[in-house]
Amino acid sequence: MPKVTPDFSDSLSKVEGAGELGYCFQCSACVAECPAALYCEGFNPREIVLASLLGVADYLTDKDSVIWQCTTCYKCYERCPQGTHPVEVVTALKNVAFEKGNAPADIVSVRETVKENGTIIVASDAVEKRRGDLDLPRAPVAPTADIKKLLE
Amino acid sequence: MIPLRHPQIEAAARKALPKVGIELTDIEGFTCCPEPWNVKGTSLEDWLAIAMRNLAVGEKSGRDMIVLCNGCYATLTEAAHIASNGGEAKAAAEKKLSSLKLSYKGKNKARHVASVLSDMGTEKIAASVKKPLRGLKVAVHHGCHLLRPSGIMGFDDPFEPSKLEALVEALGAEVVRYAGYTDCCGRATHDPEATLKMASDKIESMKAAGANCIVTVCPACFEQFDLGQVEIKRKLGKDHKLPGFHYLQLLALAQGEDASALGFDRHRVDVKPALSKIKGQ
Repeated sequence: MPKVTPDFSDSLSKVEGAGELGYCFQCSACVAECPAALYCEGFNPREIVLASLLGVADYLTDKDSVIWQCTTCYKCYERCPQGTHPVEVVTALKNVAFEKGNAPADIVSVRETVKENGTIIVASDAVEKRRGDLDLPRAPVAPTADIKKLLE
Repeated sequence: MIPLRHPQIEAAARKALPKVGIELTDIEGFTCCPEPWNVKGTSLEDWLAIAMRNLAVGEKSGRDMIVLCNGCYATLTEAAHIASNGGEAKAAAEKKLSSLKLSYKGKNKARHVASVLSDMGTEKIAASVKKPLRGLKVAVHHGCHLLRPSGIMGFDDPFEPSKLEALVEALGAEVVRYAGYTDCCGRATHDPEATLKMASDKIESMKAAGANCIVTVCPACFEQFDLGQVEIKRKLGKDHKLPGFHYLQLLALAQGEDASALGFDRHRVDVKPALSKIKGQ
């Protein structure tokens, strides 16, 4: 028997748009055009919403969860006749997985790069040379102290 | 991502936009928007706080912000939407922002360059063209975050968009509509094989419709198709050779800018076969 957390879906509502999953009537409109459902083994937005609703979604926030296969294309958001927003349910599950320390290492590292540098790509001499070759000024310097303070 | 990884897109914007009457002003103090799937995936509150900080910095300048990237557009537009509607995350983000003595009042917004150009009207874009791209067949890739969620992004129809195609036609090029033209480039999935298959299948559809090149308005989609084709060749054994451009590069080219100033030499897929299709080049 999986562990059941009856109020689990309430914990997802911090993410804008993720709190309406109670309206889902399991029609599968979200599955029909989902690229991750088409290309990735085991990814099904309807099942993800159902597991979250029933409070049996622990497996979705463990390491190597299928939730990270979502491409965030927002087709499910548009197609859902009930305003359930499966993509935001996935975002909320990702947030829970991150809090548990179960987000993929490379995704955590993107966050750390932004936190440390204020940018997602780190400036370098090579970049500055390319900018110079294109007659561009030096890359702007991001206020890293501000970002560190925000993410404290 | 554009200033530090694809500065050729910034260069094209600085050359092309003044020619259609858009005056650009650089504002100090911005950071990464941040990008809308990894950072938002780790913490909505942190993502929102960084985004609202950027909006607040923009707001102080008294101008709207222009972005050349679907990811920036998605983050800043959705964050402005959340900031106007309230909610738990907004309150947490506002509290973080107040520690920097900043607040965002919702008086400005981020506008995608495609939306700005489209609103100006294709006649105005066409009027800036000196060397029309006649003979070039273009597959337009909108990118998901320009279109959806349409109620928040508000650029065009989420499943049958045509505004970006009209902007390409204003350059004298021919748009080829292909099967699955609003599909995702596959960039953001974490599945290493699926990401390449999604891009490869989309490129095959573009080629089947007769396209000579891909046009995007997003550096992430651009990279997925450009650098992605190197990986597709290596891992899937398919050598598509379909070059990609950011729309602004083609706009600058059509306005008469020399190809050598637009950074095509740093593209991973050779653009010359596509450029050679342009009549009179």
